[in-house]
Amino acid sequence: MNGYAGRTVTKAPDWHGLVAWDLLFNNLTTGLFLVAAMGELAAPEVFASVARIAYPIALVFLIADLILLVLDLGDPWRFHHMLRVFKPGSPMSLGTWCLTVYSLPLTVATALSLFPEADSTFDWLRKTTLVLGLLPALGSAAYKGVLLSTTAQPGWKDARWMGGYLTNSALLLGCAVLLTLAVIMGQASAAATLRTALALLLVFNGLTLALLAANLRPALSRLFNRGQLWRVGLLTIIGGFLAPLSLVLAGDRPVFILAAVILVLSGSTLVRFVIVKIPHGSP
Amino acid sequence: MASREMELATLPAGSDLPRSRLVALLGRLIGPFRRGAPPQSRPATGFYTDTTVCIGCKACEVACKQWNQLPSDGLHWTGNSYDNTAELSATSWRHVKFIEQFPENASHVAPPSGQRISLEVVPNSVPPQGRWLMMSDVCKHCVAAPCQQACPTGALIHNEFDNVYIQPDICNGCSYCVAACPFGVITRADFDGHAHKCTLCYDRQKDGLVPACAKACPTESIQFGPIDELRERARKRVDELHRLGMTGAYLYGDAPTDTYSELHSFYILVDHPSVYGLPEKPFNQWLTMKGDYVRAVVGGAAAIAVLLVLFLLGGH
Repeated sequence: MNGYAGRTVTKAPDWHGLVAWDLLFNNLTTGLFLVAAMGELAAPEVFASVARIAYPIALVFLIADLILLVLDLGDPWRFHHMLRVFKPGSPMSLGTWCLTVYSLPLTVATALSLFPEADSTFDWLRKTTLVLGLLPALGSAAYKGVLLSTTAQPGWKDARWMGGYLTNSALLLGCAVLLTLAVIMGQASAAATLRTALALLLVFNGLTLALLAANLRPALSRLFNRGQLWRVGLLTIIGGFLAPLSLVLAGDRPVFILAAVILVLSGSTLVRFVIVKIPHGSP
Repeated sequence: MASREMELATLPAGSDLPRSRLVALLGRLIGPFRRGAPPQSRPATGFYTDTTVCIGCKACEVACKQWNQLPSDGLHWTGNSYDNTAELSATSWRHVKFIEQFPENASHVAPPSGQRISLEVVPNSVPPQGRWLMMSDVCKHCVAAPCQQACPTGALIHNEFDNVYIQPDICNGCSYCVAACPFGVITRADFDGHAHKCTLCYDRQKDGLVPACAKACPTESIQFGPIDELRERARKRVDELHRLGMTGAYLYGDAPTDTYSELHSFYILVDHPSVYGLPEKPFNQWLTMKGDYVRAVVGGAAAIAVLLVLFLLGGH
């Protein structure tokens, strides 16, 4: 009697694991650059040496992300078609251009980091590069969530805080990676500041995740049964939030900090895989 | 019209000149960035589908596949009435839907011979003996099309007939249009990785021909023409149906709503849109985009503020 009523009208795109990893690497590269550049610009004496290691790593994350983006295309040989037009109204087009522009200062910052002799000569170039990279890096982090929330897909279309969560998460991840570098390099002053920052960002990120979860609740209920929902929820809250927060607050021992960072990365990866799975779980 | 088709068929086929590999590679790299002169704008055209006269013959599906040289999807029994096409896809740009509205306890005995059933009046509600609803679904060619708004390559355009058209040489299969379409029309093909959907027979229109599906439809359920004429024709038909007692008939997509633009492929329906597999109230997600960007920036700005304060304090 009801014909096609109750069926999902929309079609889920062929976005699976590659896109989940893309969300992670995008946030890692942009977050790491933003945190390192802000640190170096605000307090160069504390963060300069750790930031110089961070830029090449951010470039590696960016290259990994771009490879994932190309591989996820239906026709990867046409990846350059993305640069045919500039459509600010399309989050994917805006994001592509932001990533392209962001790659330039990041590459220059990496090159200057790899040649310290040249770096001291071109200090002004380094600082200008970092400043110029901030906005496209933020744009590259911000577009991802909006890209998903402007689709017609069940769950995503209701996720008003998708962009808020992912952008915030990018900075959390960047802070976590930079903290790891500071700990490994024995930069105690930078590590102390970043440890406090990580604790505060975890709280902020928990808030944006809670807002996103509230948006996604009906979709998550379709994706998981009650028991699964509890398990995923508890795993995310305890493993990705409470446990790393406790470890960060417990002290400055490297083992605690590294464990906290691993948990943050694992929790963030899990959330991204759940996000990507949502449209595929509709009736 | 048939003679025009025969005349066109006699024209010599074009041929591509042989090209070296380097030229082909350069063409591949540079070609997408070249711009030709845009064609002159023509009156907007579209489809009007009167579902009350659809008989579910699937001639539209066959004509579409034949003209557009779309491969077979194989035959899969869906168990859903006569609908074995199942959905619109990269290789099925028309999809005839079948809705059987029969009471659970209805007897499936044919009416006594000699008893005539009036074809003039379709009952307003489901009659005791039940009824069939059939609808040929297709791309809605939205005036403000989310797929076109989403497309990052500019492959999706409104062509000179104001139809939503995918330029097959530009699409790179990013699938954003698939995700953006609220009607579930566009699909990425396995065979070439590109998105495909109804072109509203752009090639036929350019030659002054009617789209293949509309031409093949034996009951004129699918009508093609200038969109303003179609709207007027459809409104008259709805009035006629109301006069005949079918007060539940209405137009879907002929006019814009507060959340969605008008469609250049619109329908006469007699039941809820969801019964036909259409969204009850289509929503263009681009309406939420500004707010989503604001929240994205707020999420980032909060973290940036925390970091800056700590860095400045920690640095001194």
